[in-house]
Amino acid sequence: MKLKVNRKTIEIFEGALVRHALLRYFAVKGLDVRLVDTLKVTDRWGHEIDLDAPASQHSAITFRSEKIKVKSEI
Amino acid sequence: MRKLMFALLMVPFALTSWAQNKKEVHILSANDMHAAIECFPRLCFVADSLRALYPDLLILSAGDNRSGDPINDMYEIPAYPMVSLMNIVGFQASTLGNHEFDSGQEGLAKLIGMSNFPYLCANIQPAAKTGIHVRPWQMFDVGGVRLAIIGVTALGPMGKPESHPDNMTDLEFTDPLQTVQQYKFLRNQSDVVLLLSHMGYEDDVKLSAELPWVDLIVGGHSHTQLKGGEIHNGLLITQNVNRLARVTHITLTVENGKVTGKRAENIAIKGVKRENKVVAKLADYFTNNPAFDEILAVNDKPLSTYEELGCLMTDAYLKAANADISLQNYGGVRYDTLSVRGISVKDVLQLDPFQNSLVEMTVTGNEFIDILKMCFVNDQARFPLISGATAEYVLDADKKQVKKVVLYGPDGKKLNLKKTYRVVTNNYVQAITPTNRKDEGHSLGIGTAQAIMDLLKAQGHIDYQGKTCVKEIKK
Repeated sequence: MKLKVNRKTIEIFEGALVRHALLRYFAVKGLDVRLVDTLKVTDRWGHEIDLDAPASQHSAITFRSEKIKVKSEI
Repeated sequence: MRKLMFALLMVPFALTSWAQNKKEVHILSANDMHAAIECFPRLCFVADSLRALYPDLLILSAGDNRSGDPINDMYEIPAYPMVSLMNIVGFQASTLGNHEFDSGQEGLAKLIGMSNFPYLCANIQPAAKTGIHVRPWQMFDVGGVRLAIIGVTALGPMGKPESHPDNMTDLEFTDPLQTVQQYKFLRNQSDVVLLLSHMGYEDDVKLSAELPWVDLIVGGHSHTQLKGGEIHNGLLITQNVNRLARVTHITLTVENGKVTGKRAENIAIKGVKRENKVVAKLADYFTNNPAFDEILAVNDKPLSTYEELGCLMTDAYLKAANADISLQNYGGVRYDTLSVRGISVKDVLQLDPFQNSLVEMTVTGNEFIDILKMCFVNDQARFPLISGATAEYVLDADKKQVKKVVLYGPDGKKLNLKKTYRVVTNNYVQAITPTNRKDEGHSLGIGTAQAIMDLLKAQGHIDYQGKTCVKEIKK
């Protein structure tokens, strides 16, 4: 299953939650996975969603955190 | 002149008649409550307050009432606490979320039987032998307004809701949109048509374009926080994030059998103090359930390392999934010692508190080694624990990377690294190990804590003292 996290496409297992998609993104980017629980996440419409939401319900998600600085995706 | 006098005399009657035809419908809706028992005292306070203002208040749930707290999900009758609390709050209907199936057909049939409200879901056809009584729709009289509610639930890639396939062997499901369209006749029989949907926000928006004869969609599944509600294609759509952070109060204005006004506002539940004290006592009762002290197995020799406890966990995963190899991250073992004594349900929930579930993948030996190496990097430089095989590993000079891994099978011989193996792990490990493997795997719908409890129950006695499955080779 594929979805976009901050505009980067990631692949994750069927049945994953939004939390797992973010963990995968953090692992790919070499970021500290322990920070995932601090994130504010929104769907592609800009609505707040929680980390336990099913990832299959979201084609693209965006997170914000003041603690993390990630170079913007090209 | 007489005609004018007659007309003037009739004005008050006409106004009265107009006022009588203009009615308000009030709905309190929740979605994806996921066993947030602790929020029910506050939810009940809100429901009682609104009911004092609007005696015909309708209280609805858009599904996934359970699955999220072992206190509820591992109760003697799984999920009974939530049903009991929903009965007290006065829920009048719920649709079926995918997690309603988590305790199997028998469990669902029991829950429905104990609920004081109907479960509405049009796109499920249970076999008679399951005893699952679900209605596609129901008509409600809300202060003289005829309100039809149709329920619908989302189907996953396998054409069934996302729960363990064994939970749905005798249940048939049909396409949500095509099925709901069959109930268009309800438009002519009612003043308001409401779709109680566990489809997710994006699908609710798509449905709104196809269902102009529906007035509103009370939604769930995607855990999407809407600001009150949103109008799409003329339909009001509502939804909140999970675990009762908020609920929605919907107000519909109905005039002469038509909805002429729709508005919705969020009401905060989680973390707000005013609450119903009777319900608070009941929630406490469920939380302090003595059944959680039940002894599952006896630990014959004291355990003093994380590795010993981790081996118990990986053995449990291996057995639950009937896999070749299992894997547990070191950081996910949250119990450091275990003396000689009985191991209770509470102990297991302390050992594995994350509510993870099992994921199965088919990978080659080489791909498995890549997973072990990546798990080490993202689990604070700690080598994972395994069952079904043993591992020897060498770290690089600064101990931040795994340099080499050698795997041995149960017979002590080196594993064939080109052969494929069925590997089971928890969903956290799966997520933090991005490698080039071909199979990302799939969720088995089995909780890791449940797998551990099942192993303990089956064994009765355990002895993991000195057990080891991975060894660092120091040069």
